[in-house]
Amino acid sequence: MQAATDLNLQLTLKAHLISEFYPLLQRGVWLPVITGDNVMKLLNNQLGIAEAYVTDRITTLFLDGKAIDDAAASIVKDGSTLALSSAMPGLVGSTMRRGGHLAAMRGEITYHPTQTATIGAGKVKIKLFNMLMQEVGPLLLERGVLLSGAELITLLDEGASSFRDGCDSFALNSQLYPCAELGGKLLTTLAPQQTVLLKVVWKD
Amino acid sequence: MDKILRINMGASGGPSQSIEEAGEFTALGGRATTSMIVAKEVPPDCHPLGAENKLVIAPGMLSGTAAAMSGRISVGCKSPLTGGIKESNAGGQVAQVMARLGYAAIIIEGKPATDDLYKIHIDKDKVTISVDNNLKLMDNYPLVEKLREEYGDKVAYMTIGSAGERKMAAASIACSDPEVRPSRHCGRGGVGAVMGAKQVKAIIFDDNGCKHRQPKDPEKFKAANRAYVEGIRKHAVSGEGLPAYGTNILTNVLNEAGGYPTNNFKTGFFEGGTKISGEAQAELEIKRGGLATHGCHRGCVIQCSGIYNDKDGKFLTKQPEYETVWSHGGHCGIDDLDTIAMLDFLDDNIGVDTIEMGVAIGVAMDGGVIEFGDCEGAIRLVRDEVGKGTPLGRILGGGAEMTGKAFAVERVPVVKGQALPAYDPRTVQGIGVTYATSTMGADHTAGYAVATNILKVGGDVDPLKPEGQVDLSRNLQIATTAIDATGMCLFIAFPILDQPETFEALLDLLGAFYGIEMTGDDVVALGKKVLNLEREFNTKAGFGAEDDRLPRFFKTEPLAPHNLTFAVKDEELDELYNWS
Repeated sequence: MQAATDLNLQLTLKAHLISEFYPLLQRGVWLPVITGDNVMKLLNNQLGIAEAYVTDRITTLFLDGKAIDDAAASIVKDGSTLALSSAMPGLVGSTMRRGGHLAAMRGEITYHPTQTATIGAGKVKIKLFNMLMQEVGPLLLERGVLLSGAELITLLDEGASSFRDGCDSFALNSQLYPCAELGGKLLTTLAPQQTVLLKVVWKD
Repeated sequence: MDKILRINMGASGGPSQSIEEAGEFTALGGRATTSMIVAKEVPPDCHPLGAENKLVIAPGMLSGTAAAMSGRISVGCKSPLTGGIKESNAGGQVAQVMARLGYAAIIIEGKPATDDLYKIHIDKDKVTISVDNNLKLMDNYPLVEKLREEYGDKVAYMTIGSAGERKMAAASIACSDPEVRPSRHCGRGGVGAVMGAKQVKAIIFDDNGCKHRQPKDPEKFKAANRAYVEGIRKHAVSGEGLPAYGTNILTNVLNEAGGYPTNNFKTGFFEGGTKISGEAQAELEIKRGGLATHGCHRGCVIQCSGIYNDKDGKFLTKQPEYETVWSHGGHCGIDDLDTIAMLDFLDDNIGVDTIEMGVAIGVAMDGGVIEFGDCEGAIRLVRDEVGKGTPLGRILGGGAEMTGKAFAVERVPVVKGQALPAYDPRTVQGIGVTYATSTMGADHTAGYAVATNILKVGGDVDPLKPEGQVDLSRNLQIATTAIDATGMCLFIAFPILDQPETFEALLDLLGAFYGIEMTGDDVVALGKKVLNLEREFNTKAGFGAEDDRLPRFFKTEPLAPHNLTFAVKDEELDELYNWS
């Protein structure tokens, strides 16, 4: 599942606009990555998230809907979905926690490591919840996420007024434009089913 | 808290009152007090709405002190919903004010001979019980508004809405919050119907002239409270996640785990989950000028609640909690936060448990009364049917089990007549054990994530082995029962689970206040004692092993996306209460 893109879009945005991406980050965004790595290596080596942060902060992880207890033993395949969360409240929140005392209570949905994994270019869907949207979201968007044309149009439509105020400029396939032209340019060049590689440059 | 107030609503010549010494209840509180009194004084086979049942109200062991998070109020009785013993608790201001007035418990017994409606005013000097038939069939918000004209804002109100007066089995008791709104509810088990059966519409607690309860060892108490608050604040759950997003932070995670019961427990994933998540809710609250971080009582340092405004920026309701968002949301196929918030307001106003009400509506949807996802229909059912006491409203207000029978629904998610909360037991089988075996009926707070690892109740359990779910549930239920006696908010569970020094600080708080040394063993012993009493009551009320079961469909209908059924064997469930 090679990550082919039809369009490259780079937005230069003020940092507070990360909140406009929260709905998208919760639903999940596709990232072009090398698959076949374990979760820890993917997050640390490929996405640049510090190992200590992964260990201390990302305490609840799901790989394809299964709760992870050992990030170093969990292999990300091409097309996998990886959901990341900080510590959760409630009995079930504690139950879902990585390697937690109550992990046995959700034994049926615990991820069990597989031995086989093909290493190669692919993509993974990453979902971010709660505190991690703000803390990890900017990093993922800076690195680049794959969106469908429909997702991008919805994103820009729902946050229209914020993007108008907080966007410095954008580049479409390396061509620089003022932000005022963003909506019009995309509507004329982008079909809903096309794939866009979106990168964000954050400005303070 | 050295006295107990006993009110006999059925005394000849009108309600009578007497004060007793608290005795053994002086150094107890919450669920320990309510369950011990109910077990001792209420005939287990009595009718829950009859004169023999008693409504027992008790603050926590540390309520009314300067201890943080100590504001839970417990209400106990024989439940009209389950037919067994019940303890239901809530936040709000009542516990703190009642404790400062010096009452370890209030016992309301008997039943008036006439159809008069009463209010009870309690201040430091006297208790006044008076007839006020002008309050008849008023709902909680207008009721409290009216009472405020007479009693003001510097008191705490405990009230029932029209559902309580109509003795609906899902009726709740409302407790006023710091803004004097009736937004905090002893929701579960129909305790509001028992208050309605006693014909008590409102209790007004006035602690004017009273002071904080004073600890035996003030210095040690102060130091312990400081360490305890620090522990709460530094923990990721109680210090960050809950304040930012409230309990609804769980929606995304449960959905991702495939354990989010959707469309009356038909599937474990709700497509519209991200639209009603805590993250989405907090964004919307802030955008509309409400609050995503707010306490339900003074002295709360976690602040997991919030203020939900409508589209015009006007107060609609307090921040709906995870269970409410689920019961009226995913369970009913509804993915609209404004609809859920309106239903939360209606539940609070009419005075019904949000879990029971939401689950009953989902069951009614399954029975074809309205379609799943019908926002207007769900609002109409609560506002125009339950709120007006129509025949359909009385069925819905009777809870999920009654609704299932009325509409011939096979999939009715209840245990001992009480609706399951927002975690599918096929995905998280350990919580299914607690749902099945709790003395309270299906209850997500009955076996909370309290520090069993520190307490070592019943020995160690390997967290990564699937065996031992019953052991874990047993340990959690024992520890939770003890915490319920302290009157502490259950969300302290996380710092005391992970930080032994915070657990020690909690024990020190209790020890310094009462001038005793408390250990983990004492906590365990208290939990076991209360659970044994509750279990014994239920046995005498007619409950047997066959009642400690989940509905059969959990064993036979695989839940997508993981296609799991509940696999804990009946024989294992029967082992839960086998402890030495």
